[in-house]
Amino acid sequence: MTARRFKPGDVVDFVVVGSGAAGGVMARELSQAGFTVVVLEQGPRFGPGDFEHDELKYSFLSGITNSPAISPQTFRDDPSHTAERPRRGNSVVYARMVGGSSNHFTANYWRLHEIDFHERSVLGSIPGTGFADWPITYQELEPYYTKVEWEVGVSGLAYASPFDPPRTKPYPMPPLPVKSSGVLFERGARKLGLHPFPAPMAIASQPFRGRPGCAHCGFCMGFGCEVMAKSSSLYTMIPEAEATGRCEVRAQSYVFRVDMNPAGRTTGVHYFDREKREHFQKARAVVVSANGAETSRLLLNSAGPRFPQGLANSSGMVGKYLMFNVGTGVHAVFEHELNEYKSVQVTRILHDFYLADPKRGFYGGGGIDGRIGGQPAGWALASGGDLPLWGSALKDRLENFPRSMMSTAYNTSLAVETNSISIDPTLKDSWGIPAIRVTYKDHADDLATSQFLQDRAYEIMVAAGAQKVWRPEPRVARGGVHLLGTCRMGNDPASSVVDRYHRTHDVPNLFLCDGSSFVTSGRGQPTMTIQALAFRAADHIGQFAKRNEI
Amino acid sequence: MNTSDDQDNPSRRSFLLSTGGWLTSAWLGTHWSAIAAAAHHAEEMAVAPTLAGFQFFSPGEAADVGAIAAQIVPSGTTPGAREAHAVYFTDRALFTFFASWASDYRAGLAEFQAKFHAANASAASFAAANSDEQIAFLKTVDHTPFFETQRTLTLLGMFTSPKYGGNYQGSGWKLMGFEDQHIFAPPFGYYDAEYPGFVPYTDKQS
Repeated sequence: MTARRFKPGDVVDFVVVGSGAAGGVMARELSQAGFTVVVLEQGPRFGPGDFEHDELKYSFLSGITNSPAISPQTFRDDPSHTAERPRRGNSVVYARMVGGSSNHFTANYWRLHEIDFHERSVLGSIPGTGFADWPITYQELEPYYTKVEWEVGVSGLAYASPFDPPRTKPYPMPPLPVKSSGVLFERGARKLGLHPFPAPMAIASQPFRGRPGCAHCGFCMGFGCEVMAKSSSLYTMIPEAEATGRCEVRAQSYVFRVDMNPAGRTTGVHYFDREKREHFQKARAVVVSANGAETSRLLLNSAGPRFPQGLANSSGMVGKYLMFNVGTGVHAVFEHELNEYKSVQVTRILHDFYLADPKRGFYGGGGIDGRIGGQPAGWALASGGDLPLWGSALKDRLENFPRSMMSTAYNTSLAVETNSISIDPTLKDSWGIPAIRVTYKDHADDLATSQFLQDRAYEIMVAAGAQKVWRPEPRVARGGVHLLGTCRMGNDPASSVVDRYHRTHDVPNLFLCDGSSFVTSGRGQPTMTIQALAFRAADHIGQFAKRNEI
Repeated sequence: MNTSDDQDNPSRRSFLLSTGGWLTSAWLGTHWSAIAAAAHHAEEMAVAPTLAGFQFFSPGEAADVGAIAAQIVPSGTTPGAREAHAVYFTDRALFTFFASWASDYRAGLAEFQAKFHAANASAASFAAANSDEQIAFLKTVDHTPFFETQRTLTLLGMFTSPKYGGNYQGSGWKLMGFEDQHIFAPPFGYYDAEYPGFVPYTDKQS
């Protein structure tokens, strides 16, 4: 069926802002439920034949990501400082194309655990933070996690981790073939009494729903998949939405303002087309899934008489509690060749340190994995700690590339109110729209957890028989790609932006669903949960619409 | 897009054909014109009997930068930055896709050269100094922003696609043992070839 085309003047049931992990699910679920949907995506549309193994373009020249040349940002680590443009690149990075960051993600697909949703009640408050429970439970989300695994496509081995939360179905595909990094990681971890297990990945390990299995080219992290094996929205949710005949995905359509009428309801969105001509798309309801940075920016830039500090921002919480997940790792070299540049990033992980342990003296937990750690140039550029910078020592390391791997860890970021997305007072993008200002400073507990996990990763590599292990010092974040928490869910309109169904407390026909909905950060790898939230939200929004409750 | 690279890579071409992957659309990224210019320049260099001239560097600057790069990744029994043409990549980068770095870079290079002259009055230039003198000096400046930038450019020039003017004839990838292919099959390395299979745990933690 040919994809439907609407005119901006047509009043569609839903306009969805963003076509990524959440927006793709929203488009598919709402259109399959019988509603008319227009998805507005600021970036272009590419197909698998457009993607290349071009590390300079993708990793250093914003090939498919938000470019500082047209979408600049500012950064500061202290709210009392004037934010400045980063010397190179942007602070918060996402893929700017149809399918959004689900195109260039690494595809680690952990579920959150039960504890993530009510950890505040278990551990108590943490001074100086907005540490809080979610308004939903793991049990409420579990059916939608299963839906992600079976309808988006996740490869894995159910019940392999003794720490896994309950599940109602196994994975639809077996794990991807283990790599040497996975074998060594598993060897070292088991020696230490830990419980490594096959990594769940949103990459097809075998043909799945009309897509081929992985070709093991090795260019997942930061790249679009050239064989459609990565379960990106581009290859999964978007075509299924279009196949309903009720959904149009309009690329290069940059939404810059959500419109409000005097009755306090949204009537649609203003956007620029590829020629920077302004249009207005009418809709009965608006769903913003623009990512954890752009969703906040859009609301803040949509301020008006009724909401002078930003649309749906009576709480003052829009943009607050930005969380990135802290990352760290160690580099190791072994006796024989691993050839880690082949195949997917990660094949073994462990969750033995997922739970926070008050005996450590700080809050936090995380996961550890074995992986490649970058394509050739990115891997060569690694620095810090005792990693060699130049000369014969650097050359020795470069020559050891086939025998090298990393063990990396991702962990909690506490919700701190001053960590935020706001509007820069002076900087504007190429369309004249006020730019993102990022304010961020890691909480001390987050850095302590990162150091703790790096120590464990080091021990695992030593136990695995590494000839040499380097440990760069953990670095403070000056940006990130996990964009979480900036329009948090909650039952209290005074302290949250959306309710448990992702409806804004302030505007009855405005919904927000993406990483911004997170209340806590989880332990890393958030996209699985972003999509489960989107499936759940779409289910409820569709029911509201059918009952005329929007 | 389907670049000329694909025409030279039957494995990618045949795989994309087999999966129905020939979709096309224009890539409209901001940097495309600069990237295309750099790629065109690299193609010219590839067929030219001698290396093309520098567009950002003076001959003296190019000599010093080439010498710095050659200390960052030395030559030897395997290729180093010199053989990978890292200085040509650096020149193209600063003239095209990293032009926004150029002002800071040139100021940093001038400061580097001035410091070197102050510390080595007898040497005509960094490039003209002997290797021991170069190494001794670099140890005093290897945490400056300029050195960090030059290290970045050198490694990018060695390990990114040859179409940008470095990684000459894939020499950087050969040094690393990296194969630029689009299809691999397990086993990928020594350790996974001997993996006996995942053994489930019998203990339940939660």
